[in-house]
Amino acid sequence: MRSDFLSLRQVDKRFPVEDGELHVLDDISLNIRQGEFISIVGGSGCGKSTLLRLLVGLEQASGGSLQLDGAPIEGTDPERGIVFQDHRLYPWLTVEDNVLLALLNSPLSKAERLQRVHEHLRLVGLEAFARAWPAQLSGGMSQRVAIARGLVNRPKILLLDEPFGALDALTRAQLQEELARIWLAEGITTVLVTHDVDEAVFLGDRVVVMQPRPGKIGRIVEVDLPHPRHRDHPRLHELRSDILRDFARH
Amino acid sequence: MNTTLVRSPLFAGRRWPNLVPPLRWLALKSCALLLPAALLLLWHTAVVRQWVSAQILPPPSLVLETLLTLWHSGDLWFELSISLQRVLIGAAMGSVLGLLLGLSMGLSRRVEAYLLPLFQAISQVPVLGWIPLLMMLVGIDETLKYLVIAHAVLVPLTINTFSGIRAIPPSYLEVAQVYRFNLAQRLRRVILPAALPSLFTGLRFALTKGWIALVTVELLASSEGLGYLMVDGRQMFQLDQVIVAMLMVGLVGLVLDKGLALLETRLQRWQRQAF
Repeated sequence: MRSDFLSLRQVDKRFPVEDGELHVLDDISLNIRQGEFISIVGGSGCGKSTLLRLLVGLEQASGGSLQLDGAPIEGTDPERGIVFQDHRLYPWLTVEDNVLLALLNSPLSKAERLQRVHEHLRLVGLEAFARAWPAQLSGGMSQRVAIARGLVNRPKILLLDEPFGALDALTRAQLQEELARIWLAEGITTVLVTHDVDEAVFLGDRVVVMQPRPGKIGRIVEVDLPHPRHRDHPRLHELRSDILRDFARH
Repeated sequence: MNTTLVRSPLFAGRRWPNLVPPLRWLALKSCALLLPAALLLLWHTAVVRQWVSAQILPPPSLVLETLLTLWHSGDLWFELSISLQRVLIGAAMGSVLGLLLGLSMGLSRRVEAYLLPLFQAISQVPVLGWIPLLMMLVGIDETLKYLVIAHAVLVPLTINTFSGIRAIPPSYLEVAQVYRFNLAQRLRRVILPAALPSLFTGLRFALTKGWIALVTVELLASSEGLGYLMVDGRQMFQLDQVIVAMLMVGLVGLVLDKGLALLETRLQRWQRQAF
């Protein structure tokens, strides 16, 4: 497996503001292995969401390069799936049609598309809700549909932008387990942006700790535990305390 | 408006708590009839007691009689169909143009910069203000009526379409960007459905405006239609005929608005099922 499946080299991002420019990301370099689960953790303003938007292709880097599987990242592409914090399902479409819409420009036939949609709704445990409207779903269920939509194109990489940030603690824990299960089943390279250190260490093979103003990588913590993991494993607690100490200093 | 208020959870079940639901519904609906009934009674009493002369205010019974006579003779239907035809043609013209204008200004900042200020200035002039100029330009034939109605419809529809599109959350458009929708796909799958509620509000408002404009222009320059029926009644000093025409105008306006409201609920099943 390639160790630089997803590769960021000296990525820099600045936004023009009224008096000059805002330096959001500074010298981000990172190599991600194929099939790896990377957590990016940091406080608000550390540029972690901007970094993810660069990976999706919704923003363009001011400097440096981003490559996926040897090809530069330019604009959006179905080979990079994304799950946003707000589920962003269209309220006027049923669950099924929302996921189907992600395949609008796919070369698959209609029957294949429907089959693919149901396969992924089954994966997130919501096949029975295919005909439901988003307004009838709970926050956790909506986010599962968003995950199904993010995966339905069989992307090379799955990007998650604080996907469980708006959920209650119980649902969040449940969906973290679910995501771990899906990741193991699909073997897909995954980048998760979060401000929840517990979540970052529980799910990630490595945790990228970011520092703010301008956002840069503080350090990268290896989580040397096999999957599936137990939430209350003492090693996870050690790592968590270790990472939290980083933030206490700032 | 008031029905949605009553149906909202805030108000549900507060009134007549000891009535079974079908009766409560009936009680709510019949509320709307109380005031008209009282007014009718007042009107009747005023004529019977001769507070007002019957030449100026004919009794309700005479109005009903005139209504039936005009209906059976086919005169009423003839004038009504003329008015309806005018409003449909004019409203269709205004809707198509308003939709295109609203869409193009909503989708393009450049088009907005070119057109919106002029459009706003034009829409400040009331429909009535255009009639003298238009009369000189196109005469007093059907074209005048179509143009006046189209203008009345165009303004609210354009504004609602425009602001409906601008109010679409950017996050919806980002999803479309992620899945690389082209312009046609964005329009059909995201922009139109997202702007539909606002579009319908505009359409209902526009049709009401168009109907009012029609009656106005028929009052001023027409030899047919419901507005003409009013003018004719006034000139002949037949106030019963004037009132019949007024009743028809109100009734048709109500039916047009309710018809669109019904269509709206059918088209937006997702909103209804959300509660």
